[in-house]
Amino acid sequence: MALNVSVQGAETSDRKGRIVLTESVGRGCRHIRVEIESGCCRPDPGQFFLIRERGVFDPLLGRPLAPIASSNNSLDFLFRIVGRGTSHMASLPPGTEVDLRGPCGRGFPGPVKRRLILVSGSLGIAPFLDASARYRDKMEVTVILGVPGNGWEEFAKWCSSRVPGLRITSDDGTLGNRGNAVEEALSVIEPGDEVWGCGPNAMLRELGHLFKIGSGRILVSLESRMACGIGGCLGCSLPTATGMKRVCVDGPVFEWQEIFPNAW
Amino acid sequence: MPGNAGLHAEVGGLSIGSPVIVASGVWPMEPSLWPEKALEGVGALCSKGLTLEPRTGNSGKRICESYSGLLNSIGLQNPGIDHFVKNELIGLQTCDKPVLVNVSFESIRELAAILEKLLPSRSLVGAVELNVSCPNVSRGGMTWGLDPEGLEKAVSFARKIWQGPLWVKLSPQTSSIGEFSRICQDCGAQAVVVANTWLGMAIDNDEEKPFFERIFAGLSGPAIFPLALRAVWEAAGAVDIPVIGCGGITRPEDALSMMLAGASAVEVGTALFHDLSLPAAICSRLSAHIEARSLGSVGEITGRARR
Repeated sequence: MALNVSVQGAETSDRKGRIVLTESVGRGCRHIRVEIESGCCRPDPGQFFLIRERGVFDPLLGRPLAPIASSNNSLDFLFRIVGRGTSHMASLPPGTEVDLRGPCGRGFPGPVKRRLILVSGSLGIAPFLDASARYRDKMEVTVILGVPGNGWEEFAKWCSSRVPGLRITSDDGTLGNRGNAVEEALSVIEPGDEVWGCGPNAMLRELGHLFKIGSGRILVSLESRMACGIGGCLGCSLPTATGMKRVCVDGPVFEWQEIFPNAW
Repeated sequence: MPGNAGLHAEVGGLSIGSPVIVASGVWPMEPSLWPEKALEGVGALCSKGLTLEPRTGNSGKRICESYSGLLNSIGLQNPGIDHFVKNELIGLQTCDKPVLVNVSFESIRELAAILEKLLPSRSLVGAVELNVSCPNVSRGGMTWGLDPEGLEKAVSFARKIWQGPLWVKLSPQTSSIGEFSRICQDCGAQAVVVANTWLGMAIDNDEEKPFFERIFAGLSGPAIFPLALRAVWEAAGAVDIPVIGCGGITRPEDALSMMLAGASAVEVGTALFHDLSLPAAICSRLSAHIEARSLGSVGEITGRARR
């Protein structure tokens, strides 16, 4: 099923898969691995799949999740239980058949020539687990994870095991440096660095501070409620500097200025 | 569609290769975004709801899942009829199937302007699908499709201007879907689409306020299928023109049920959000039924449950 939704060449289609691993990684967060029946192309970091249990119509919609790792026949996802859909997903045992639509959207670009700073808030680290694993041998990559603090130890430890040199910050100072992920980025950034962000909207907005000290391009990956994943329903449309854009096909990765044109 | 014999249908002035139509508002209007093979089994494709002027749609949250359903408050985001005629309408032809153009309007003046802009491209328009779920500004915002006088006026007017196939997509919020279907028939519509989304709402309990800025939103998905099926049954009993069943079709069996209840074709929407192969599966199911009952064509399925 060829489709030129993604500028990076991956193909969006409906796929069948089976959960082969599910584990808690603390604080209501789960890691699952899904084996894809017909094999899978490798999505770009930031591209996502809509995933749901096959044959189940309640919850109705797939949940958009960006893989944290991919192989020729499997995809790994990380999510946090926040509602009915993710709660249902977390309850599914290995062997459960799932439907996936993807890879959807435009992800982050490939390796860049500049130093790369990846700034994440909590579960926003998902696409950067993939990006750092794929790019750290090709370029200098710094990954920053901001979490609330107390209670997030297991999650932070799990992420650290996957990202050598992960810089952790916490609001209450119980994990890593006290402060938020953007403050941490300010302490390491050098003029010309490229910055990618994924996390709560408030955090993404604050990334604009990095421009003040000469950051190069800043790209942000947005989260949104969505239904179709192929640009049809407009459930994920949002106003941007260049008009209404759909997170599912025009994003989820956008240039910072496009999303926050009036921030400063 | 090899193996799907007998699915060709003549419906409401339109000749379609299968009785499965992609409903308005669910399919991207740019062919570059269509997954390949995803339109297998589809007989016709309906555009987004189009208005005279471009609309950015509703602000705030736009979708909310409910039990086996989906509430949406998109607000008719669309590029406007001029842009559509110059760009999307031409691109949509690459689907190689009839293209329905869904038209929304708040006044007769708007309706006239939209149809007149479509007239030069009439050969590219399979049928006009009038969406009468919009407010009628000259009647204090009362929905066109809930007001017999308004509906009569709009359909009669559209009939005078638009000589091609004319369908009306009714609101399920009517007091009598049969009566409103008859009005459409009497005013010259060639088919009625029964129906649109059902008005519902959600509350954000944490914020203690309605989830959607516009408070009410349209409910679709499997949750509404029995409601839509009943509406199709009533409409099909009230008119001679074809009834297009629309609402909550999720499995091939649902489409068969709609047709047995009296639909001449079906529209699918929300189900495509998780299964692009549904139209082809519906075709297979209808073909199997045709063969099992030794029927001549899909048209003979229509209304068999009413005998």
